Amino acid sequence: MDFPPGDFLILGCVCPLVIVTPEVSMGRYVIRRILQAIPLLLLVSIFMFALIHLMPGGPDQVIFNPHLSAAARAQMRVRFGLDDPVPIQYLKWLRNALTGDFGFSFTTNLPVLTVLGQRFPATLELFGSALIFALIFAILLGVVAGVRQRSITDYTLTTVSYFGISMPVFLFALFGQYIFAVALHWLPASGITSVGYTLAPFDAFVDGVWHLILPMMVLSILFIAAWSRYLRSTMIDVVKQDYMRTARAKGVSPLGVLMRHAMRNALIPLVTVVTLDFGSIAGGAVITETIFSWPGMGQLFYQSLEARDYPILLAMLTLSAFFVVAFNLLADILYGVLDPRIRYA
Amino acid sequence: MDVSEQLSLSSFDEEIEPFLAETSELVQKRRSQGRIIFDRFMRNYTAVGGAAFLILLFIFCFVGPYIWHVNPNTVNVLHVKETLANPSLTHPFGTDDVGRDQLARAMAGGQVSLIVGLLSMLIGIGIGTLIGALAGFYGGWIDNVLMRITDVVLAVPLYLLLFVLSAAFSDGKPQTVILIIAFFSWTYAARLIRGEFLALKEREFVMAARTIGANNFRLMFRHILPNAAGPIIVNATLLVGANIITESVLSYFGFGVQPPNASWGTMIATGDSFFDVDPWLVFIPGLLIFATVLSFNLMGDGLRDALDPYMTER
Amino acid sequence: MGEYLLEVQDLKTYFKVKAGRVRAVDGVSFSVRSGERVGLVGESGCGKSVTALSIMRLLPKPAGEQAGGSILFEDEDLLSMPESNMRQIRGGKIGMIFQDPMTCLNPTMTVGKQISEALRIHLKLSNEGAKARAISLLDQVGIPAAHERISSFPHQFSGGMRQRVMIAMALACNPKLLVADEPTTALDVTVQAQILELINGVCHDFGTAVIMITHDLGVVAGMTDRVVVMYAGKVMETAPTEEIFANPLHPYTLGLLASVPRLDAVRQEQLKTIEGAPPDLLKPPPGCPFMPRCAFARAICKTMPPLTAVSGSMQHQKACWIDVTDPSQQAYAERRRQARAASQQAALAAFAETTTQSGDQATVPDDAEHAEKEG
Repeated sequence: MDFPPGDFLILGCVCPLVIVTPEVSMGRYVIRRILQAIPLLLLVSIFMFALIHLMPGGPDQVIFNPHLSAAARAQMRVRFGLDDPVPIQYLKWLRNALTGDFGFSFTTNLPVLTVLGQRFPATLELFGSALIFALIFAILLGVVAGVRQRSITDYTLTTVSYFGISMPVFLFALFGQYIFAVALHWLPASGITSVGYTLAPFDAFVDGVWHLILPMMVLSILFIAAWSRYLRSTMIDVVKQDYMRTARAKGVSPLGVLMRHAMRNALIPLVTVVTLDFGSIAGGAVITETIFSWPGMGQLFYQSLEARDYPILLAMLTLSAFFVVAFNLLADILYGVLDPRIRYA
Repeated sequence: MDVSEQLSLSSFDEEIEPFLAETSELVQKRRSQGRIIFDRFMRNYTAVGGAAFLILLFIFCFVGPYIWHVNPNTVNVLHVKETLANPSLTHPFGTDDVGRDQLARAMAGGQVSLIVGLLSMLIGIGIGTLIGALAGFYGGWIDNVLMRITDVVLAVPLYLLLFVLSAAFSDGKPQTVILIIAFFSWTYAARLIRGEFLALKEREFVMAARTIGANNFRLMFRHILPNAAGPIIVNATLLVGANIITESVLSYFGFGVQPPNASWGTMIATGDSFFDVDPWLVFIPGLLIFATVLSFNLMGDGLRDALDPYMTER
Repeated sequence: MGEYLLEVQDLKTYFKVKAGRVRAVDGVSFSVRSGERVGLVGESGCGKSVTALSIMRLLPKPAGEQAGGSILFEDEDLLSMPESNMRQIRGGKIGMIFQDPMTCLNPTMTVGKQISEALRIHLKLSNEGAKARAISLLDQVGIPAAHERISSFPHQFSGGMRQRVMIAMALACNPKLLVADEPTTALDVTVQAQILELINGVCHDFGTAVIMITHDLGVVAGMTDRVVVMYAGKVMETAPTEEIFANPLHPYTLGLLASVPRLDAVRQEQLKTIEGAPPDLLKPPPGCPFMPRCAFARAICKTMPPLTAVSGSMQHQKACWIDVTDPSQQAYAERRRQARAASQQAALAAFAETTTQSGDQATVPDDAEHAEKEG
């Protein structure tokens, strides 16, 4: 799967919104934010580039086979453009990056985007399913806990959320592996598929699901913890509002009050938080993927780090920053669209 | 009628007392502000539990080695039977693959983990407060520049950048780890404090202080900052927990503290290879990390509840 | 149905707090006839809002609890009714409007939807029917271009407009009773009159009875047929409006009326206040709650007087042992007031002495100086 060049992606995400939002002010706001985001991304890319190149053991010391002769080394340097001063290297890199050419991976010699593209689906599968699972759970838990404080659901939520934010993800992963894979043997310990077999399509699908469950749950715990807590506190604030009392004074049933009045107001801020968290998708779940040997972008990052594969590192850092900024923008826009007080200000 | 008889018989003087005396009972006992906050904090059992655990933990890590005189680094490879041992009386936390006593290592590792967490928090909060205060107080282009810098650091997902930085600069010493973690700790605090300063600098007491001739520096740190202290304290407490987690992640992946300096993260890293044989090697430091961070989180939340309705009375 | 639309009988509502139970409403009784406008008056914290919320059974849980009494609405006790029945009454038979229209409307729902909600629940109207009726309601409450404004959000209205929307919402299903909890307190003075006129007019047209809760005696004078004066969770006096202004018989009512500044009063006269502060409702003193502040108080006031009809008028009731029209009582009260004033000034003089002795630059209150000069 070919990974579309970065700039087309942002245009693709934002154009529909600019067209759809009828209010001129909203469109102007979006454009203004995009214009603000561009220098930010440039700064980030400069920052990353400088970091990579100023690191001890920088690019030129890395890829080369220690047995290479000095002449061959010099040739390689020219080939990779490592002889130019760093700012020039940056500009060259930037020019290439804007057209989607992030260079070649040091380890595999494939174009960086190709490598990223290979890894992206696995990360999407893991991240996407974790987000959806977490969202459903978080809403259920958060709403019920916020409405019925000091109930069992509330205590469950509090426990789960403290677990989620107090336990490092890798520890969760390790414990999860131990309990479910090693001790109980319910789920496979790692990998995305069972290696070395060619299974019938249905079996392959089931096999994939089994492999997905454990890493997905580990990854989603963090989100469930954070989101349900946030939703709970938002719900508590909303329930205290005067308009809830007005709704009850109109004779609306408790369910109606909850769904039409409380949740409508409480979910809007949550959308912002979820969108922001979604933005970290390109960073992937480095830790989770590494521990579960999940062949996604996170694992790629870790492997590239070990192998000092700088083009990939640079590309991943920049792209992930891009995603974060893009989703930040999206979150702001969504909030503006959903909250009538901002939309029809 | 009874009423009129009573009225005419009652004397004049004795009626005076109730008129004045009743009102004095209306005055309630006043407590000092600190006392009120402390009382509120103490009512939160989980927060108090967390704080108590942390006190015990500190004693465990720093005073413990004086009681449990076992060297965490002595290797005992000769007697293989005593390696990878389960908890026993001689080794209450068991031993690892080269026979080192886990209890002693837990204490030593705890020292490192706690110090790294606390110091990185202090540095991070320090930088963050400075940046946030300057940005919030002066506004204008200073605010813009500082916030741009904050945005840049925040734009890249935390662990990616963290791994890169530590792969590059880390030499296994806790000091470097502290600096690296501090590099990421300041962003949230800076944003928070900037927000507080933006709100507080419009308040009347700032104007009042200005009229008596306080210079900017004094205004910022003697007047405004104490009023913003509440959220800072809460953020600081929660930050220690987060930093301990970060340190353990870095150490686990080999980027943070490295042998011979031990931390809970490195203990897990070494124990990971023997997980199926001796899960205690991972469980014990893991549970310690969890309990510590949990306590910091509980305490931080308790502080937030105790401080919040009081401090944000705008 | 009996004589009254609403009969509140010995209502007691307490709030559970850490320190005990706050007796917000402690034995309140009054009644409302069909189409009648009753004013519930009292200072902040006297329990009038809590009474209103108790009628609607909208007390905040878990703190609020019904500790006794009954509320008969159309001869049914609201307090012992199952919740589902109560929900039909809320909005359908009894409507309520609140003090702050800004926070009382859902900011994320259009005004039309909020009004239609009540219509769909109680009158079972279809969406179109509800919308049409909502437009006509907005029109009736005086919102221009109603058919456009129906899809506006609350924040797009001004304060007065929002209160009109609230009124439309509360009266949408043609309730028999409207409970208005300080509807004009949060509004500009110029808008207050308009809103009150609106409530008056609409309720007159629909034949809705009104319970108007306010601390503003001016509102009471123009808007009500009868007045109930509350203090510290108890009813002090109740009478037809004209009667209570012409012939107040409770010391508290006297104090309230006296504290209203009059345009024809002598200038530079000190404003009259009721001295002291309301009692702590956690541990209310036994007997009449007004006793500590009452110049007429006697030993007998340590027992709470019952609400009894005044001789000569069944409509006028007061909860007081003393007859304030009796000249000997008035003289007694006057003596007490003077003694109190004298001891106050003595205390102030003593305070001024100590502060000037210690060399402080404390400003001595004008009263004390004045009093010292007068001797």
